[in-house]
Amino acid sequence: MPDHVLELKNLTMQFGGVVAVNDLSMNIDKGEIVALIGPNGAGKTTAFNCVTGVYAPTNGQVLFGGKVIVSNHPSGKMAKMYLGADKDKFHQVAAPSPDKITRMGIARTFQNIRLFKTQTVFDNVLIATHLHRTSNLFTAVLRLNSSEEKSMREKAMHLLDIVGLADAKDEKATSLPYGKQRRLEIARALATDPTLLLLDEPAAGMNPQETDDLSEFIVELRNRFDLTIFLIEHHMALVMDISDRIYVIDFGKLIASGLPQEVRDDPEVITAYLGVDED
Amino acid sequence: MKALKWTGGILLIIIAVALLVSSISAQSDLEGLLKRLDAQNVVDLNPKMLADRDRVLESHLDNDRDRTLRNLDRYLERHGDLLLLEGTHALELTAFRSGPIVSSVGVLLMAIGAALLATVISGKAAVRKAALYAVGIVLLYVCVYVVEQIAGTSSMLVTVLKKGAIYALLAVSMNLLNGFTGLFSLGQAGFMLIGAYTYAMFTIPVESRGQVYQYYAGGLIQFQMPVILAIILAGLVAAFFAYLIGLPVLRLKSDYLAIATLGFAEIIRAVFQYDGLGPITNGSNLLRRFTTFNSALFPFIAVGICILLIILLINSTYGRAFKAIRDDEVAAEAMGINLPQHKSMAFVISCFFAGVGGALLAMYQTTVQASAFKASMTYEILLIVVLGGMGSVSGSVIASFLFIAASEWWLRFLDAETVIGTFEVPLLRSGFRMVVFSVIVMLVVLFYQKGIMGDRELSLDMFKRNGKEKRGGRNA
Ligand SMILES: Nc1ncnc2c1ncn2[C@@H]1O[C@H](COP(=O)(O)OP(=O)(O)OP(=O)(O)O)[C@@H](O)[C@H]1O
Ligand SMILES: [Mg+2]
Repeated sequence: MPDHVLELKNLTMQFGGVVAVNDLSMNIDKGEIVALIGPNGAGKTTAFNCVTGVYAPTNGQVLFGGKVIVSNHPSGKMAKMYLGADKDKFHQVAAPSPDKITRMGIARTFQNIRLFKTQTVFDNVLIATHLHRTSNLFTAVLRLNSSEEKSMREKAMHLLDIVGLADAKDEKATSLPYGKQRRLEIARALATDPTLLLLDEPAAGMNPQETDDLSEFIVELRNRFDLTIFLIEHHMALVMDISDRIYVIDFGKLIASGLPQEVRDDPEVITAYLGVDED
Repeated sequence: MKALKWTGGILLIIIAVALLVSSISAQSDLEGLLKRLDAQNVVDLNPKMLADRDRVLESHLDNDRDRTLRNLDRYLERHGDLLLLEGTHALELTAFRSGPIVSSVGVLLMAIGAALLATVISGKAAVRKAALYAVGIVLLYVCVYVVEQIAGTSSMLVTVLKKGAIYALLAVSMNLLNGFTGLFSLGQAGFMLIGAYTYAMFTIPVESRGQVYQYYAGGLIQFQMPVILAIILAGLVAAFFAYLIGLPVLRLKSDYLAIATLGFAEIIRAVFQYDGLGPITNGSNLLRRFTTFNSALFPFIAVGICILLIILLINSTYGRAFKAIRDDEVAAEAMGINLPQHKSMAFVISCFFAGVGGALLAMYQTTVQASAFKASMTYEILLIVVLGGMGSVSGSVIASFLFIAASEWWLRFLDAETVIGTFEVPLLRSGFRMVVFSVIVMLVVLFYQKGIMGDRELSLDMFKRNGKEKRGGRNA
């Protein structure tokens, strides 16, 4: 059996006395679309942040393509404060910065859109091609890298075409409507050439039509770029529609996982969501 | 159209060459011209006349044009009755007098001709744009040169142009960091000091070192570097210090850089005045007698090259990364941009140009003293950056010239006690200038919160784009 594209082992993130992610183990295989759902404050974004290097987890490991990329165990002050499980299971410490993880092939979008706000739509995508540059400071300043610059621009334009923002390329990114800003974030993430794409609530703020288009679009992206997609989303119709598998967490803990219909009928999931508006 | 451009371009270049050759030959053969004026060769019989003529030739050899023209006038006035001043000789004299202007017109025509040819040969829009900019730049330099020839090297206007150009570089280098990368540094004066001292220490002629370093037995350094190398070294030394400071500080998340650089600037000012370093820095004494410049063209060309490099950087993939960091560090990092590496790059480059600017400032001032590089100098430059617009190179440049002109020139009259008839104008006395100046600056900051230019640039496209926006009304 080939290695999972992404595997979390006993991932735990504790902020002070709050355990935001608690002993979360899961895996995603190549080409899958996997959703992570749960009520507000369940720890979904925090899990993303641990995978992408924004936070070093308190305990546990993240494996990418079978290789440990992030690993930690409670130490120092945290060793005494630690409220999670598996305290002595891991010994390795690895906490690469987010840019290194992106370079390994994991790209993401943000729940609270984080576009480069003074830049145009086009430049937002263009900036994300910077990480694969072969030019150095001197060749770039003296314009000895014009062929690379050209291919960067072509790639950015191509991606804008794919997400349907080619016409808006010279507009300021923040002047776009919400739904388009989310698409722009996806184009920007794709510009880093990921193999695994993390989408944090891509449908938030979209109207029903845009949401419908989005589900098709995500599947299309997966096929076209040979991607594996890990997705956080509150919009249940979308999740049920496109996910191959679903993981459900509540208070940081995994409460259910499996195929969409299995998860939908799981009593524990229904309890967790009781009183929580699905849309 | 194409044929017209070809012939036009070639014609312009031919005319330009003719102008340049005629003016250069008039310049280079002053001695021959003076001989031709003196057809009967009376000069050798007349010691006074000979001395006057030699004075003209001597100042000409020194490349001191103001003095040459003065001496020439005196020569013609005193001995005119013995000279042939009619006909072709008069023309030749005029050619000599207007030489710089004629040759600058020649240079301008040459640039226009070359630009025309470039556009027909390539035909790409980018080339046409570059050619237009090139002509604009040449025109600017020609204007500076002509102004200098007419107003004189030491006139107030030219002084403002010189200092304004140097401050433009200092402001743009600070803007690269504060405006384009979003890193707040307050060490500009410290890095300028390093640049100024590095330049000065290495370009004092060996024979003058005894006098300059009089309390330190001529000092330790006993050689003189070429000007260009010394200016580059000034930048490199400043950049090296920036690198060292950046290593620990730029890894921290928040604004420690401002505190660290401010402290560094204060410490370095004290260190350079420390007596123990006297053999190198001359302690708290002035450094002087190093190579300086006469013409405003020197700082204009040096600053022009530096700012061009900065603009090329800002519009390169690295510059885009800097702007991404400014806009959103978290997103920039998530897009694979190595934050410490890029921050350090921006900081080191900014300080390199601060060092170069310091070297140019030393040349402008002709003397250097560490105690002058106070934090207020940094604030002055920061103010120019804010006035011009954070994130606008052209804004910084425009604001520099306006700032220097206002503070050094236009408001000078406020410092002079003035009596009109028997009426003594109130308030005008030494120091009032700074009061008025501060009020103006406050008003500008209040009413133009984003500075003169905001984060836009002065460019050819600006006019076109403005038109388009008005028509389309998309961003309204
Ligand atoms: N940097 C932090 N410091 C302290 N607490 C944090 C931090 N980040 C998140 N938390 C806490 O962790 C918990 C999980 O937050 P998280 O943002 O991961 O939730 P979420 O599942 O993404 O919720 P939502 O659906 O609202 O986006 C919350 O209680 C939050 O307050
Ligand atoms: Mg979230």
